[in-house]
Order: sequence, then C-alpha cells, then structure tokens
Amino acid sequence: MVEEILEFLILGLVLGGIYALFAVGLTLIFGVLDIVNVAHGEFFAIGGYALYVAMVVLGLSPAVGLVLATVVVFALGLVVYPLLIAPLQKRLGRRAPGPLFLVLTLGLSALMQNSLLAAAGGEYLKVPPAVKGGLDLSFTFVSGQRLLILIVASLGLAALFLFLRFHRQGMAIRAVAQNPAAAQSVGIPLGRIFTLTIGLACALAGLAGGLIAPLFSVYPAVGFTLTIKAFAITILGGMGNLLGALVASLIIATVEALSVLVIPSEWQNAIAFGTMILVLLVRPSGLFGKKQP
Amino acid sequence: MSGLRVRTLAIAVLAAAGLAAPLVWSHPFVLHVAIQALIWALFAASWDLLSGYTGQVSFGHAGFFSIGAYTAAILTKVAGLSSWLGMTAALLLCALVGLCVGFPALRLRGHYLALVTLGFGEIVQLIATNCENLTGGPFGMHDYGTFTGLPSDPLAQRQDAYVLVAAIALAGLAIMLTLTRRTNAGPAFRAIREDQILAGSLGIDTTYYKLLAFTLSAGFAGLAGALYAYYIQLVSPTVGSAAASALVIGMAVFGGIGTIWGPFLGALLLYSITEGLRFIGVVYNLIAVGAVMVVFVIFVPRGLAGIRLHRRGRQQRADRPAADAAS
Repeated sequence: MVEEILEFLILGLVLGGIYALFAVGLTLIFGVLDIVNVAHGEFFAIGGYALYVAMVVLGLSPAVGLVLATVVVFALGLVVYPLLIAPLQKRLGRRAPGPLFLVLTLGLSALMQNSLLAAAGGEYLKVPPAVKGGLDLSFTFVSGQRLLILIVASLGLAALFLFLRFHRQGMAIRAVAQNPAAAQSVGIPLGRIFTLTIGLACALAGLAGGLIAPLFSVYPAVGFTLTIKAFAITILGGMGNLLGALVASLIIATVEALSVLVIPSEWQNAIAFGTMILVLLVRPSGLFGKKQP
Repeated sequence: MSGLRVRTLAIAVLAAAGLAAPLVWSHPFVLHVAIQALIWALFAASWDLLSGYTGQVSFGHAGFFSIGAYTAAILTKVAGLSSWLGMTAALLLCALVGLCVGFPALRLRGHYLALVTLGFGEIVQLIATNCENLTGGPFGMHDYGTFTGLPSDPLAQRQDAYVLVAAIALAGLAIMLTLTRRTNAGPAFRAIREDQILAGSLGIDTTYYKLLAFTLSAGFAGLAGALYAYYIQLVSPTVGSAAASALVIGMAVFGGIGTIWGPFLGALLLYSITEGLRFIGVVYNLIAVGAVMVVFVIFVPRGLAGIRLHRRGRQQRADRPAADAAS
C-alpha cells in the first residue's frame, strides 16, 4: 500500500509539473492583462504538434524538437496581443469589457482547435519518448520521459520566476500587474509588456505540450480539458497568483493521481471541476488569494 | 401609415415568408436544417436572456440543454411518457437546476461566474458519460421515438415536426421578448447588467431577478434540449460539450448579444450557413464559427441586430442601450 501510494505520488508530481507550466502562464496572463485565456490549451496542443513535426516528420533530435515547440508557440503567442486583444481594448476605451475578452479567447480557441483538426486530421498521433530507459526504484519504475518532464518543468518554472524577479522586462511585467497606470506613468510601454506576457505564457504552454506529447498522444482537442482543469488550479491558487498556481498544480495533480486508489478513474476529472466550484463558493480568492471576484 | 408601421409590417411579412419557405420547398434536407436551426435559435435566445440581457455570463449552457435532452429521452424511453410530458418535464427540471446553479452564482461575477458555469457543464458531461445505466454512457440513448402523434410517412413527419418545433421555438422567443419588453423584469435585468450595486440601491431585488433569469434561461435551454432529443432521436454526452456552449455563444455574438431576438436570428442564419458549408467540410464550419466570434467581438460588437438599414438620428429602441453596454 505504501509503495502504491509512493508510486502514484511520483506520477502526481510529474503531472503536477505539466499542470504548473500551463497554469502559471494562464494566471500570469490574468494577473497582468485581467484576461482569462480560454485558448491557452490550443497553444499547448500546438506545442505537441510542433514536437511531432520536428521529431517524426523532420527527424530532428528531441532536444531540438522541444526548443522548436517552445519557440514556435512563443512566436504565435506574441501576435495574440497586437492582433486580437489590442484592437478590442482600443475599441472599448474606458468602457467595462464585460464578457467580451472571454468570448474573444473562446472564439480563438474554437478557431485554433478546428484549424488544427483541418490541418492535421483528428487522429491521435504518437510521438516517441525523448529519452529511453528510466530510473528503477525498487518498488516502481520511473520512465526517462517522466524524469525529463520533472527536470525541464522545474527548470522552465525557475527560469520564469528568476526572469520576473531580476530581469528588467520581468520587473516591468510585475509592475504592470500591480498597477498598469502607475507603470505606464514611469515609462513602461504597456503594449510591449502585454505582448511579451502572453508570449511567455504561451511558450510555457508550448513547452508543456511538447514534454507531455510522448506520454499522451497529440490530437486537436488535447488542450481543452487541460484548460478547464487549469482554471480550477488558478482559482484554487488565487487568480493572478503565480506561486499559488504552482502549489495548486501540485495539489490537484497529486490528489488526482492518488484518487485512482479510491474512486474509478473515469471520475478523475470531476476532482478538479468539483474543487473549482467548491473554492469559488467557499473562498473565491483561493488558497493564497490575490484578486477579489 | 407611418414609417414604423410599414417597417413592422415588412418585417412580419419577411419573417412569415422565411418560416413558410421550408414548407413550400419541402426538401427533406431543407426541413432538417430548418428544424435544427430553430432549436439552436431557442437555445441561443435562452443564453442571451441570462448572459447578454442580464449580464450573468454562462459558459456551460450546453449543460442545461443536455439535461433537457436526457430528461426527455429517459422519461419517454423508461417511463413511456408522451413527448408533451417529456418536454414539460425537461423545461421544469432544467428551470429547477438553473435555480440551483443560480444560488451559488449569486456571489460571483464576470470571469468567476463564467468559470463556475463551465465547470457545471463539464460535470454534466461527466455524469452523462459515466452513469451508464441511466444515460447509456458514451454512446448515449436512442430508440425512444420522436414527437408523439406525428405521421409515419418520413416527409410528412418532418413537415409536422417543423411546424411543431417552429411553434414552440417562436412561443419561447415571444415569452422572453414579452418578459423583457413589457414587464418590470426587463428594466431590472438591464439594471443588474449595467451596475448590480446601483440596481440594488435603487430598490431592485437583485437576488430575485438574477434567480429569475437563471431559472427561465435554463428552462428554455432545457426545452430546446428536449426538442433536440425528440427530433434527432439520439442523445449522447457530446450534446453537452463545452464546444456546444461555445457554439451557442458564437451564434449569439453573431446575432447581437443583449437583444434576445438577435441571437435567435443569428443562430438561425449561422446554423443554416454552416450547414451549407458542410458540403465543403465539417471542420470548416466550426472554423467559421470561431472566426465569426473573433471578428464580430472586435469589429461588429452589436452583431446583426445592430445593423440598421437606414440611420435615423438617435435610436430610442429598448435594445439600443443593451447593445451599447454589451459592446
């Protein structure tokens, strides 16, 4: 029993790394732009497809594939602000946006998901693991891909946190998150920061999509369930709170992994949705609170 | 006759001609598209009553639609009830579910409400997929028959189904329009959307009116679901997918949110157009819906309802401020 629990804990930790890469980006966008990016999962899916194209179609090495996945999705993320969000912000001016940004990103999600379906077909594409072998603990075997996920996810998140903490642009992002008007008045170009923020967040999603692709298959709707799950995570962690999202990712992933011991696996997804509804009803600011609803 | 009278008459004649067209050109495919377009139209109008008109954005409206469809299918299949009772039950049960979802949602606004309703929709889909002995699991339910009392000849059956669905959908639209234009609920809904705190301080019972909007909207969505169940004669978990919720929001945006008749019209047109595109490829019509949402939100915020044939200075129509706020 103890060994079983340890085994599922490790699986949960690996999954938590993926959730964290995804949810931290989602909550970063929310914190800086006050927008919930419903299309985040589609950037994750494109990361997976990019890795597939790099490794299977072009025959490149996995490392190059992962870098490519991240860079491609970063580039796609960079155009979202100037192409879609800025025009809507401009039209709205000072009026309250209401649900419009949600509808906008929801439309983007439908557009991207079905474009993927049109371009790549609906099949579940298999991607070979980036690393062979694995780590043989006496009670369980952890595949190399899972170890890679843990290491790369940790590095990616550490890089983001260091960037936000120490780099000039990162500090500017935090300043905008705290107070856009004040940030602008000290000469921070809001548009460029918004563009960079969405780019970075999408890059993390693309990296996550590339990392997990060999474990799950790649298909157009692969990211959508994850998006909804990530909403649950960001709400649990407090929307706009990066560290909260990281902790909440690990909590949700671990509980999901361990739940298999208690409830049938087809109900696994209900944990995240149930948690989300519960948190919103009991403590809408989340565990570590930031923005009030 | 005044200009307004002429215009009203012209619109009435056009609407009547449009509604009669599928009966005149009674090709099975035309009827098939028209019936489903009307079901979506009722569904879109119900979404707009809650989300566009009252400003309580639901991202899981397909959950109500799905519950309505399953209620109808289960009652007819298991209990052998007529479709009339099935539809009534679907309407009432969904209204009740709407009330239950509305209660916790009272505390939430904007993003948070949208996310809770999204979670609600996903949970409905999970239940539909996993409670196999009740819902038939992933493959859904079938073999419970169509509307009670339709002729068995396929074409005549479809024609009668069209008349029935059209009557119910238009009745639903008429009720929603009357409620928002002729009763106190309309201004109360709009006041809640504009500024909930201000509305409350003016003596509007915001709790009552928000719950009313949730109950009615969910009820009509459920009724649309029941119509779907009896017409298509197959209900599966995908009926309640987030994609279906997204589709209905896209239709409403296309038609013009906050006007109720706009989303109704928008759904009719968008559904018919995308079904036409089905000959090109089923994927492309969904790409088109996504593109419509993105483009309309940014560039055509009032949707089709906001397009006026001739501008006549200041607009004084009831839906004008609604569309302004939505934009």
